[in-house]
This record gives sequence, structure tokens and C-alpha cells, in this order.
Amino acid sequence: MWQLVSDGFNYLASQSASSLLHLFWFVIIFEVPRYTLGFISVAALTIRTTRAAPQSVDVGRVSVVIAGHNEEDSIERCVLSLREQSRQPDEIIVVSDGSTDRMPEILRDLEARGLIQEAHCTQMRGGKSAGINLAVGRTTGEIVVNVDCDCTFDRHALRDILEPFADPRVGAVAGNIIVRNPRASLITACQAIEYMISISEGKQAADLTNQMSCVSGAFGAFRRVVLERVGGLDSGGGEDLDLTLKLRTAGWKALFAPDAICYTDVPVTLDALTRQRFRWERDAVRLRYRKHRDLMNPLSSRFNVVELLHELDFVIFNVVAAMVFPFYLIWLFVTYGDLAPMILMGAQVGMWGLDLLAFLMAAWMTPKANALALFPYLPAYSPFYGFLMRFIRLAAYLQEWVLKASYRDPYVPQKVHLARK
Amino acid sequence: MTAAIAQNLEVKPQAVTGRKVLVAEDSPITQDLLRLLLNQRGHQIDTATDGLEALEALRKNQYDVALLDFHLPSMDGAQIAASIKSEANGRRLPRLVAITADIEGLLASSSGENFDYIIPKPLHIDEVGKIVEEQAEIGDRQPETGDAAPVPRPVEPRLARARSETSFFEGFGYQFLSWPEDVGTTRLSARGIQATLGDPRFDALLIKEPVSKDDFATLWRRKALYALPVIDLTGTLGRLADLDGSKLSAHDTGELDRLLREFRDQRARLNRDLLLSDNLGEQLLGRVFISNRPLSAAYDAGSHGLVAYNTTLAGSTVAHEAEALCEEGLLQREFFDRFHVCARCDSARLHVREECSKCRSSDLVEEPYLHHFKCAFQGPESEFRRGNDLICPKCRRELSHFGFDYDRPGTMLVCRACGHAASEPAVGFVCLDCGAHADSESCATRDVYSYHLTEQGTGFAEYGHSFLGHARHVLRFTELPIELVVALNAVAKKFNEDKTPFTLVNIFYQNEREIVSEHGARQFAQARDLFVENLRASLGGSDMVVKGQSYDFVLLRGIEPDQVREEFDVLKQTGERALRLDLGVKFQAFGPEDFS
Repeated sequence: MWQLVSDGFNYLASQSASSLLHLFWFVIIFEVPRYTLGFISVAALTIRTTRAAPQSVDVGRVSVVIAGHNEEDSIERCVLSLREQSRQPDEIIVVSDGSTDRMPEILRDLEARGLIQEAHCTQMRGGKSAGINLAVGRTTGEIVVNVDCDCTFDRHALRDILEPFADPRVGAVAGNIIVRNPRASLITACQAIEYMISISEGKQAADLTNQMSCVSGAFGAFRRVVLERVGGLDSGGGEDLDLTLKLRTAGWKALFAPDAICYTDVPVTLDALTRQRFRWERDAVRLRYRKHRDLMNPLSSRFNVVELLHELDFVIFNVVAAMVFPFYLIWLFVTYGDLAPMILMGAQVGMWGLDLLAFLMAAWMTPKANALALFPYLPAYSPFYGFLMRFIRLAAYLQEWVLKASYRDPYVPQKVHLARK
Repeated sequence: MTAAIAQNLEVKPQAVTGRKVLVAEDSPITQDLLRLLLNQRGHQIDTATDGLEALEALRKNQYDVALLDFHLPSMDGAQIAASIKSEANGRRLPRLVAITADIEGLLASSSGENFDYIIPKPLHIDEVGKIVEEQAEIGDRQPETGDAAPVPRPVEPRLARARSETSFFEGFGYQFLSWPEDVGTTRLSARGIQATLGDPRFDALLIKEPVSKDDFATLWRRKALYALPVIDLTGTLGRLADLDGSKLSAHDTGELDRLLREFRDQRARLNRDLLLSDNLGEQLLGRVFISNRPLSAAYDAGSHGLVAYNTTLAGSTVAHEAEALCEEGLLQREFFDRFHVCARCDSARLHVREECSKCRSSDLVEEPYLHHFKCAFQGPESEFRRGNDLICPKCRRELSHFGFDYDRPGTMLVCRACGHAASEPAVGFVCLDCGAHADSESCATRDVYSYHLTEQGTGFAEYGHSFLGHARHVLRFTELPIELVVALNAVAKKFNEDKTPFTLVNIFYQNEREIVSEHGARQFAQARDLFVENLRASLGGSDMVVKGQSYDFVLLRGIEPDQVREEFDVLKQTGERALRLDLGVKFQAFGPEDFS
């Protein structure tokens, strides 16, 4: 193995600039630009650190809404961590979306203890969007914070996610999500690095360039008037991306609050991860290229250069990269035959170098992520992210384009799928 | 006046003024004893040893009370009473008190009616003095009150009764006390007082006007009245009474006869400790025993605790006393129900309501919510309503097909007072008595039970304190027959002088209840008599065998208890000679040191 790595390194080192370009065009086109985003964010951070320390801003009443299906195990911990906040939520409203476990009883108990203000338990599952909409309809706060049941929060998370609302143009703010269970498996460790590098750091960069296109449903804050104006969440999966795209095109700013930290459990098995990512990618394709395809149509009234940028970002680095990658591999093996593994290893060595750089920057930007513990897993990251995730993405895109699989996703109740068609 | 006397009796039961008392008794021991006892209490005693002598004394002297032994030489107590009454001719007569071991026999004969009171044998030291004084007091007030005068006329052969509105009940030949004439909240007639002394001739208490449970408490503060069945002529008492007389017709006395008979039988079995007890718990136990029915709880909307028992006491009082009796193992609980109770005033009369968990208002409206599948809007139905149509407030589409484009996943209860909404209402209570509010989580509860007599309780009811005393191996002096006390005094004196030991053997019949229930009380009494006679025949002249109420006794002179204990088997065999029933005899031996 080590021999292969050192061969790869020697191979990489012996190449001239033009032959590097010739061999690694895929990496240079699709991978390197991603890392440059990291550099941009570091630059941003230097600016950010010179700012004043975070402080509470008066944004009015804050309502937290939670919707969950069969979350008897996690809802109490989630509520308790919200009750530990330095900036207390003014109300917490929880919807049990057709739960068949003990969640309704637990909610009754939480309400009796005064930890939550309202609990609504529907008899039939309606999906996450409907649950959140029901809860939002009951809120009285100016700001609505939407969190997932399986999340817990740093003590100042609420204070920090509210801070950007001091700017009246801000309609939504995304919290920073850190993996709570990196040690559960190699898969979760890789996801922990992924969340650090591509989500935290990626959102930081996107924030800087006003390209924040997805305020995660795990931890996001919204102005209630904005939610009302865009009609709350729509049916179908990927509601967080959908909502963000809607409010951005309605003229509101979406920002990222890196200090507003929330912890969540990520899938432990490859199987579960694959299902989750299939869902995400299918929903992204459906939302970007079906529901919101006018964003890429220069003739549409919603067309906007700013929106075009994140659309292009997605097309190039996610869609095209995933599509082209198999052809690149075939080309390598056809052209160079037995040399191809060596060349790939060379590319991998180069990637590791870039990974290390990105990792260090991400670690600096998100100190809470406990980067030191993740460091041993770093070599597994680019095979995980560059190969595995890319193939999963490709399969998901094909499945969605050809089979419209997102319309059957069990994440959304079947009755809703039927009505949406 | 009545009230004043009744109060007097209660406050100072031993209020002693010197009385003139005639004691007609043929046994010199009993005569001496009664003289000693009554002299000690400051009374002046004349004695007569036969009937004629007694009659002569009564003719010559004015007495307050005459204690007449029923069985006297030459003329029995009943004949004396009849003679003196017939001769009275307006003269004030003493209170005539019979002393007899055969109460039933006396009551059965018509001569019993000439007595004002009957003292059962064996005599109880504590009782005799009290009875004499109380009877004398009754005698004092008769000329003034008139309404209770036992005018010795053939037309009024029975105990005088208050003249007021009478019911056809009173023509049945029973002796009734009436509420309010004889017993009332503040009143107690002469007959009432007589009944409080445990006079066995009274059959029942007739309730002629509505009485509250609180007023009934006075019934229990007097002795022995609780032991009478309560017959409700007003039809207002419900299950508090033993019989609803308002529904009975004059032709239908079967139920009445049965009830009174049952009560009388049980009352005769009840130990006098309980009959004459002024301890409410003991009275209650006695009541359960006499009525032969458990204390059964039932709903009662009228009372604070919502529970009434089948007796004339407030539910809470019954529960309080019965719980104490359960502690002692005399009663046994049976779960009836659990009540929520007001924390402030302990009332169970609570108004139960669904209310808002926030502001506790009960002004809740149920609002169903709709889920529009297509746009994921989920909200109250009222927001969808446009006349007959359901229009989604978010996407303006019409909802046209239930289950296809929308459904109703649930309802929320919206509080019209504060706007709070919840899937389920909170449950709260408002106390109807004091207005206090409690929610279901914090509301206290109270468990209510019915109560049954235990074996132990039955034993206590039949044998009184000595039953418990026996269980605890304690000898109670007040239980001992008077002649035994006299004899014990003598041997104790001798022991103090020259250390001559003595032993008192207490004979307890373990199988009494079994035998009584299997073969009847008569059989048992005969077997017991035979046992005692066998012992008496086999023992020496200096030893003494004495029959007591619940136990019998043997007093052995010149012997240590330990020696006697070794002889228990011999003693038992001797006594059981020719006995067909197994009495389950148990002995206990007490020596001089036990009496120190």
C-alpha cells in the first residue's frame, strides 16, 4: 500500500506542468476550484475575527417549531437543550406528525412541565412540511426557528443564529451543523470531515458571496413574515432548499451563522447514508431543474445573475462532475492501461495534500468540531467524498431524471405524492 | 329541664348524693358486697334476705331505689314489684331494679314490665353503683315532668312513653324510643336515659322527623342507643336507617319483626363493654356486630365526602374510626372507590371539567385542522371555509376530495379566553364547597373502603376488653365477678400476712364461637356449666370455682401458679369428664405477684 502511495507521489513529482494538466484535467477542473473556496473563506474569517464579539440583538419574540414522526427517543433531549439556551426561546411548539410511538405522551408531559408551550398531535402522518406549517400557524414570535428532533444545541446557538436578523433585509439564517457521532463508524467519521469542510466551510464561502442556497431544516431561523409571504413550506422533500430558493427569489437575504452550532446524528451505516443522500440529491434535482427551473431561464422574470451563480455551482461541481467522472476513469484506463492505477494514486496524493490544507482551515474556522480527533480519518475522506459520494450522486441524478423517484420517496406520505403529481 | 339532666348525667356520671337503697338479696356474700360498694359511694343501705321482708321494708320506708333479686325465698322479685305497685295508690315508689341472670326469662314473663331496670348477672362492680345513682335521678324528676312517669296502672303496663304523635308502629307491641320525643339533639327523656343504661327492653328507635347526620352524633354520644335499630318513618334517611318505615304498611310487619329479632339476638350477644362504651370506635364495632352487616360505603351526593355508610354517622367519621379499628385488626377493608378531594377543604364534591392548560378556562372550542396535500398547508378548518367551499388559504386551490387532496389529521382545542391551543384538554377540578381549583395532576385522592368484621372483631364484640386482654395476657379486674373479687381480697390479705400462696386460674373456651354457631348457644352453655361443675366437684372445699361472663375462674389456695401450670392437663381432663363437645379449654394461671 505504502509502495503504491510512494509510487504515486513519485509519479506526480516527475510530471511536467503540461503533462499534469493532460493527465489530471478532471481534478483540476472539478476538484481544485472547490478548494479555492476554502481559501476565500479563510480570508473572510480574518475579516470576521476583527468584528466585535457576538452579542444579543433585540429581534422580538422567538418561536421554536419542531415537527417529528415517532421521535420518542430524541424529542426530550432536544427540548431540554433548547431550554439551556442563553437566549431562551419565547415559545416552543412541537407537532407530533402522526406518531405511533410514545411521542404524544412525552409531549403532554413536556407541556405539563412548562418546557414547551404547545403540542399538537395529528392522527395521520402528513409529512414534515405539513407539520412545520401547522406549528408555524400557531407561532406568535417575529422569528421562527425550525429545528430537527435529533438536534441539540450549544448554549449560545440561539443567540448567535438571531444576530444576523439585526439587518432587516435578512430573511433566513442557517445554523452550523456538527456531527455528534463521528466515532460511531468510519462512515460517520468521514461525514464529520465532510460537514466540516464542505458544509461549514462551504457555507461560509457561500455566505461571503451571497450564495447561501440552503438553510438547513436541522437548524434554521426565519422571519415569520417571510414564511407567511412565501406560504411556508411546500409539499415534497428537500423543503429546506425549496424554502431558501423561494425566499431568495422573493428578495430576502439568507445568511450563515458559523457560531450558531447544532449537533446532529448522521447515518451510521453505508446503507442508511446512501438512502439519505439519494433523497437529498433527488430532491435537489427535482427542485432545481423542475420546480425552480425558471431560475436558469434568462427569459424568466425570476432570473437573476446572483441566483445563476449557485445554480451553475451546482451544475458544474455536482452534476457535471458526477457525470464526467466515469468517462474520465474509462479514458484513463483506455489510454494508459496498466499505468492508470498509478496515475489515479498520483491524483489521490495530490488530493490528500489539498485535503490537509482544507482540513486545517476548516478546523481553524470551526474549533468546536474537534478536528484533532478526526485527523486520523482524513486519508479516507477523499476516497469517500470523491469516489463514493460522486457515484451515489450520479445514481441519484439518473434515478430522478429517468424515474422521478423523488415522487415516491417514503419520507413524504404517499397521499401527498399522489396529490402533487 | 330534660336537657339539663341529660347534661348532668353526662358531665358528672358519678354525681353522688346519698340515696336510700333497699337491697333484697338472699346470698349473704352478694349482700355484703353490695352494701360495701354502695356505702362506699355514700348511700344508705337497707337489706332484706327474703321476699316478704323486702315487701315489708318497701311498705314502711321511702327508698330511692330497690335492688330486687329475681329469685328470692318466699316471694320473687317480680311478685314484690307487682305487689308494691298495686298498693302504691299515688305514693311515690322507688325505682325498681331487678337483678337476674335470666334476662330473657324475665322479659318473657309479663312481670318484667313492673321493673324500671334490669341488671344482668353476674354483677359488674363498676356498673351497679352507677345504675343505682342514675335510676335515682330518673326517679327524682318524675313527679315534675309527668310525661315520663312510670305510672303503675294496668292501662299503662309497659314503660311509659312520650305522648305525642304516634305511628301505627307503636301498636305492634314493641318498645320504641322516638326521635325527637325521647331522644333529640338536646333532649333525652327518662325512657331515653333508661335506654342509655343498656336496658334490653327497648327494641328500636323510631325517627319521626327528619334528622341530619350531625344531629345523629348526639345519639352516639349517649351510651347504648347506637345498639338500637333505626327505623325511619320520614323516608328521608335512606340507607342510614336500618328500615324505611315510611314504606311499610300495618299488615306487613314481617320485615320489621325480623329486623328487631335479629338486632335483639345480636344485642344479647354483644358484650356490655361495647354496649355501654362511650368510645366511638367501640360503638361502631358494636354496631357492625349487632346489625350483622358490614359497614358498606355508597355514593351520597349530599355529603362533603360523597360517601355515606349504612349507619347514622357522617361518612368521614365512620372512615376515621373504622381505619383505627383496621389498625387493631378488628375490621377489614374492602376497596370501594377512589375520590379526588379538594386540597383546601377536603371536600370530594368537585366539578370535573376540561380546561385550558394555560389559563384554566373551560371555554374551549374544538377546531379541526385540515392538511392540503398539494401545498403542505396545514391549519384550522375555519381558515379554509369560504361558505360551502374549502379553499386553501395558502395556494387558493379548492379542496374537493377528502382523502385525495386533503384530510383531517386531527383537532386542536383552542381556548377562547387566552388563545392557547392543544391536542388534548387538561382536566381540572373546581371544589363546589370552597371554590378552590386543582388540576388533575396535583389533585389529592382519597381511597374509600367498606369494612367487614374480622374474627378478632367478632371476638372483641362478644367478649369485650377481656378478649383483647386475653390475647395480651392481661387480667382485667373489672371483668372479675364480684364474689371472686371478694375472695381474692381475702387470699391477698392472707398472702400479705403469712405468705400463703394462691393461684387464680382463668378458664377460656376457645371453641365457643364454633360450638355456638354449630350447636347453638344453649348447648354451649350446658357444656360450660358441666365443665365448671366437674371442676367444682373434684376440687377441695377451700378452693373456689366461679362463673364469669366470658370466662370462668378457679381460685386455688395454698399453691403456687407454677405448680398449678403443671397440673393443667389433669384439670382439663377432670373438667371434660362426660363432655361430648370439645370446648377448647385453655387455662391461664396468675399468682400473687400478678396482682401487686
